[in-house]
Amino acid sequence: MATLLINGKSRTVDADPDTPLLWVIRERLQLTGTKFGCGMAQCGACTVHLDGQPVRSCQTTVAQAAGKKITTIEGLHPEGRHPVQLAWVAEQVPQCGYCQSGQIMSAAALLAKNPNPSDAQIVDAMSGNICRCATYPRIKRAIKRAAQQRG
Amino acid sequence: MTTRLTRRAFLATGTAASVGLTIRFPLFGAPDAAAAAAFDPSPMLTITPDGLVTVHITKAEMGQGVGTALAQIVAEELEADWKDVRIDYPTANEKYGLMLTGGSWSVNWTFDALSRAGAASRLALVDAAAASWNVPAAECVAERGVVRHLSSGRSLSYGEIVKRVPITKTFSEDDLKKIALKKPADYRVVGKWTPRLDIPDKVTGKAKFGIDTFLPNMVYAKVAYPPTREGATRTAVDDSAAKRVKGYVATVALPDLVAVVATSYEAAVKARDALKVTWDPGPNASVSTESIFAKFSQAKDDPALQSWHEVGDVKTAMGSAAKRHEATYMTDYVAHMQMEPMNCVASFKDGVFDVYTGSQFQTFAVGTLAAVLKTDAKNIRLHQHYLGGGFGRRLEPDIMVETALIAREVKRPVKLIRSREEDLRRDFYRSATLQVVRAALGADGKPVAWDNTLVASHPGRRWGPDFVDKKGLDQFALNGADHVYAIPNQIVRAIPVETGISVGYVRAVAPNYTFFAVETFMDELAKLAGVDPLQYRLSLLGDAPRLARVLKLAAERANWGAPLPPNTGRGLACVSAQEKKTPTWTASVVQARVDPASGNVQVEKITCAVDCGIVVNPDGARSQIEGSLLFGVSNALKERGTVANGALVQSNFHDYQVLRMNEVPEIEVHLVESTEYPTGLGEPGTTTVAPALSNAIFAATGARVRQVPLLPDRVLAALRAKA
Repeated sequence: MATLLINGKSRTVDADPDTPLLWVIRERLQLTGTKFGCGMAQCGACTVHLDGQPVRSCQTTVAQAAGKKITTIEGLHPEGRHPVQLAWVAEQVPQCGYCQSGQIMSAAALLAKNPNPSDAQIVDAMSGNICRCATYPRIKRAIKRAAQQRG
Repeated sequence: MTTRLTRRAFLATGTAASVGLTIRFPLFGAPDAAAAAAFDPSPMLTITPDGLVTVHITKAEMGQGVGTALAQIVAEELEADWKDVRIDYPTANEKYGLMLTGGSWSVNWTFDALSRAGAASRLALVDAAAASWNVPAAECVAERGVVRHLSSGRSLSYGEIVKRVPITKTFSEDDLKKIALKKPADYRVVGKWTPRLDIPDKVTGKAKFGIDTFLPNMVYAKVAYPPTREGATRTAVDDSAAKRVKGYVATVALPDLVAVVATSYEAAVKARDALKVTWDPGPNASVSTESIFAKFSQAKDDPALQSWHEVGDVKTAMGSAAKRHEATYMTDYVAHMQMEPMNCVASFKDGVFDVYTGSQFQTFAVGTLAAVLKTDAKNIRLHQHYLGGGFGRRLEPDIMVETALIAREVKRPVKLIRSREEDLRRDFYRSATLQVVRAALGADGKPVAWDNTLVASHPGRRWGPDFVDKKGLDQFALNGADHVYAIPNQIVRAIPVETGISVGYVRAVAPNYTFFAVETFMDELAKLAGVDPLQYRLSLLGDAPRLARVLKLAAERANWGAPLPPNTGRGLACVSAQEKKTPTWTASVVQARVDPASGNVQVEKITCAVDCGIVVNPDGARSQIEGSLLFGVSNALKERGTVANGALVQSNFHDYQVLRMNEVPEIEVHLVESTEYPTGLGEPGTTTVAPALSNAIFAATGARVRQVPLLPDRVLAALRAKA
């Protein structure tokens, strides 16, 4: 058994300590906005925040996450209106949409740390997130838009 | 699998108020596109008493924004208020006709039928309202979801009509054809900026993909896959260690399938890994990239080569020409690498299979499932979800078959999720190819003869006789080789080769490799003729003025001919993709810089001009073109599937690399305004990139790279060959 603090709620789950956080979030707690893409921290689809830091939940164990504040896409903003989410709609970013939770979580973490990132900083922070539909130009535009609106 | 071909008359019926108005009409058929093309009647929209118009989207939503575009088409002629329009993705049913999404066909196949469905629905509503007022329908107009009688000022909303007024007007197929549709100049929904209806749920995590399905009492399955892609057989299974894994539920050992079922995904992985399965790897155990290309090289001279496209007399023209040229082009296997690994949930209860996934080809899936499970198609309910990328991968029903078989054995709902490694190793790849192109030039430098030999595996042969022509050729393995250049004598010969590596359809399909050969070779001919590649192409595009126009546009916007720094060049390509009979005229200029020391190629900019006829959703169109171009960059620069021991060598994103943000060039898209019938946008851009980039490398360095992907060592080899 493990107790996890997810999106402000304490959740107890029956999972071994070495279970990847991803599978607990998705398949036990059914917070399905977080996606499985590669299982080896190569694609970023499973990105969540651990105490505000972006992590790949497929490579984070339940034991590593215990006692920390876990935020998933569902907990980013109570009404789904985080500046990054609004910018994503304004720029019409998603195509298939599968990677976008991870993209948004990476972008939100970037802007929390660096409210006005340069192009190079955006590329650096986002190159771990794969979008096979290649919405990258719009992701970049949306991050800039969100930065402007926060600033 | 076969599908019944039927035509039924259009019928508009007003039904009980609580049910709503359902308009039924025949789908616009695919003119001999796939042999399986059906032409069934389809209830495609529902208007409910609350005034909402729900357009039932039977095309898969995999990022194209197809639901929004198709709903716009209906709303335009229906005169619906866009704020009242909703979409849903219904469970597969024969009444929807051929359920197939691919080929950049969706708008092209449905534009006319959906327009007429919308128009007929409007006419029926106007007729009903007019009758209720006892006035002629001609005195009434429909606008933004309301019917008005102009002289009296009376009005009824669509919802009120459905609620209160009998709707009796019906349409025969002939009546439908006679409906006068709007002129493009009068459009107020089609061609206008319209945010995509699927996007809000895709930024909050609410959008449901197949993998997000849960059923009560559900268990997790993992399959033990064979060591080779094709041809292995299982000789023994020992599940004694698997049984000791906490959460183990059952072992399923069927003739062609071994799986373990457990209470969680992790437990299923552990139990499957504990299985001891003994395999006979079969005849493909030593198949490799080298053995496959050796086979292809033999096949190019095989007397069994079949003529697929022929004009004039190549042999005579070739013999008498002033100059001749020949080049060989090769492309490697390409994997889909859609972000959502293949997965499915299935349950079996009371003889009925409920299957939950995202499918691009429900008609094929239901037919295949019914055949494998030996049941009637009506016992298969395929529930559609968003697709976490399709790119052709979700045309295949393999994951559904596995999951349904397991669910039938364990009598509990089963969720099967492939790991990325399994997803990649069990993919149906874009075939590796070898193409030999020969041409003869006349005294004016223009080609008088063109001879293309195309060696590849043909996916349609696995799908069955409905998917190949009488010669056993799959047109979707060859499209594009029949280019639109005015060359009096042409022949394209083809031979399908079985390799032991399963092939399928990957975004932009054959035109990825056919246009790589055609458009690179065209550049080589221009060089041989001593003519600028742009002017050379234009001189041969007399039969394709729309292509000439986009080519000129792309070149102009890309400053074709303006000086560039050293080792930097521009290359162009123009295509009639996705198919010659329904072309989206597309031209790209790629600007790239080559590092002559490392052979690294950096794509700096792509300027793309597109004429797809009427553009339904302009921002969605741009989004598709941007994505298709970048998919092309990824294919052209990075993606190389290699084979050893009868299976793909690569296993995940670390060794099968796809484009990331740090490699994205500047992109400029120009959409030509047009009132021509619309074609498609999901794929054509992709096909321009590899040839335009190869031509840019040549322009930058004088080195000709004839192998995709255009890897640094291949660029270096070409640089050495030049020197």
